[in-house]
Amino acid sequence: MVFPAKFPQLNATDLTNEARSVLIRVIRVAFPHPTFPDGPYERTADTILREAEDSTWFRVALTQGLITLRHLAGGDFRDLDDVEATKVLRRIETTEFFGFIRRTTVLNLYDNKDVWEIIGYEGPSFDKGGYINRGFNDLDWLPAARIETYEGPERLIETPTGGSAARVHGGGATSAAEPDPAIPLGLADATLTGATK
Amino acid sequence: MSAIEHDDDAIVIIGSGAGGGTLAYELTAKGIPVVVLEAGGYLRHDDYVNDEWEAFNQMAWLDPRTTSGSWRIARDFPNLPAWIVKAVGGTTTHWSGATPRFKAHEFTARSTYGRIDGANLLDWPLTLAELAPYYDKAEVAMGSTHLHGRKPLPANNNYTVLANGAERVGYKFYSTGPYATNAEEYDGRPASIQDGFNFQGDKNKSKWSTLVREIPRAEATGLMDLRPECHVVQITHDASGRADAVLYLDKEGNLHRQAAKLVAVAANSIETPRLLLQSASPMFPDGLANSSGQVGRNYMRHTSGSVYARFNDPVRMHRGETMAGVIADESRNDPDRGFSGGYYLETISLGPAFLASFGDPGAWGRGFTEILDAYANTAGLWIVGEDLPQESNRVTLNTSVADKNGLPVPNVHFDDHANDIAMREHGYAQAEVLYEAVGSIGAQRTPPYPSTHNMGTSRMSALPESGVVDKWGRAHDVPNLFISDGSVFTTSAAANPTLTIVALAIRQAEYIAEQLKTGGI
Repeated sequence: MVFPAKFPQLNATDLTNEARSVLIRVIRVAFPHPTFPDGPYERTADTILREAEDSTWFRVALTQGLITLRHLAGGDFRDLDDVEATKVLRRIETTEFFGFIRRTTVLNLYDNKDVWEIIGYEGPSFDKGGYINRGFNDLDWLPAARIETYEGPERLIETPTGGSAARVHGGGATSAAEPDPAIPLGLADATLTGATK
Repeated sequence: MSAIEHDDDAIVIIGSGAGGGTLAYELTAKGIPVVVLEAGGYLRHDDYVNDEWEAFNQMAWLDPRTTSGSWRIARDFPNLPAWIVKAVGGTTTHWSGATPRFKAHEFTARSTYGRIDGANLLDWPLTLAELAPYYDKAEVAMGSTHLHGRKPLPANNNYTVLANGAERVGYKFYSTGPYATNAEEYDGRPASIQDGFNFQGDKNKSKWSTLVREIPRAEATGLMDLRPECHVVQITHDASGRADAVLYLDKEGNLHRQAAKLVAVAANSIETPRLLLQSASPMFPDGLANSSGQVGRNYMRHTSGSVYARFNDPVRMHRGETMAGVIADESRNDPDRGFSGGYYLETISLGPAFLASFGDPGAWGRGFTEILDAYANTAGLWIVGEDLPQESNRVTLNTSVADKNGLPVPNVHFDDHANDIAMREHGYAQAEVLYEAVGSIGAQRTPPYPSTHNMGTSRMSALPESGVVDKWGRAHDVPNLFISDGSVFTTSAAANPTLTIVALAIRQAEYIAEQLKTGGI
């Protein structure tokens, strides 16, 4: 790669197509999803390039980082296989260059319908009536679970009696002698069940 | 809505969330007019969007803040210590809905846990028995499921995984609540449609918030003068040391003065101490109501953390009520586990955009992308437990960074206590065991998110030298100044804080009304 910017005057940086292509490869190596097509990676690379246009610091970091990549790769970064390319990125992971790419990718790659569909997220749901009739409870590989408060014989021992040194052992808790204010209006409550002291 | 003149000595409430919104409703319902100053805008339910980042940018408190200390937040999200809301209704508009009560011993943390190195433990000047009637009122107001005749919510997929895992590891005290979202129509609000969006605001109005209940009811009395987009910068006082006005900026940046006969601050636990510190004066050189030196200290955020577990089969955790699943077995205080206090395990889910940002901040490579690739087969839970107050965990004014109004931004300094770390590790391990019991093939330990539970920076105390407010939330130093949010928590307890904030505000409203009647203020 020659100098990654088309113009030596960095304020006018318009990164070359080659630079964009390297950037796409960097994102794919750093965030490998076997099921993602190129589109989401290209979209993310273009977001990074747009943000670099607005920030001199990122533009400088990006330009310098792409040059460094070429040095570390001993040639074109795009020619490295996944394992070798990952090793190169590990060497630069603390740089501003990589941090800028990582942060921007994390914020943008997963914030788009194109990847939601692939990983099984369904996006906005209110306009579709939520999931009340669309599978909020369609899990079929475990038995139905109790939803009500536990009403069995055990009591939650809220704290050991006699201070922290003494511990109440076993499940045979005593029953409360007086109404417990932790239990609202005499109703059992999963979070506050039973005898305290 | 009735307009109250700027030079009328008004009852001024700062903030319209769980504390301020409740206080405004309770006072106006008793015939007492109030001015409510809300820094955020007036978002309505129709304004909410089912999109994580868009909603975040619409609702979150994004005014600049700084961080310090050894917590990961200072590294990963240095300008976002807390994830709370800036809008009418405050953080109740994006909360999930879990409403456990505090336990009796959690009001006496110092006596129960004993002296713990590095912790600034103190017993509350208040007991569970005293608060219990107000918990009842709060649960009825909020429509907490499982209680007072409210039906439990049905099991969603994420809950089915959690509850089966709980059962298999021997937990007993699990259920889909208590949870302040309707399983069936109640109090003019419809049943949940299980749309899976809580942190983005509930467009369906099934979830309790002060925006859906207290604010409109206070407006209907004609006694509330609600002023959105009004950011309070200072509380002023007269020569006798009584609060006499608040100074606030409107959305155009114009400074106004509202005369006050009583000021109640409910700006959440970062902005509340910030405002008291910004109100320092020759009479109160360390900040208003800060003779104890405790304003801003003892900042607590709960010992949180998440575990996202992967399975061979679909879960689709994003469908349904986010946090309608609670396990209370670990909420007990059992020092044999290696720490004091307890924690809950509650279902949680994030969409891919937020899971990518918060699941393992800073990570990349295949270990990271596996989390996202497994999205549809992932179940998630949140650990939420008591963290210990420490004097050095503290909100201060950072005078080297200014916000858009030129005001010093709050800095939040936080270090985990060893007890917090031990509890979190225990929670991670228990969560993994629970998920393995139902076939998990891998799990991700997620560090605490930017804090959604913010507590303790103006704590209650029996003695003026050890805290900022008394058992009613009334400042020890300033008789007509009240704190009405989670800042007053003496300790954090394990429970999600909103129910307790609401119960305290209902109780405080009764006290204020009585004091106004008898001339006690």
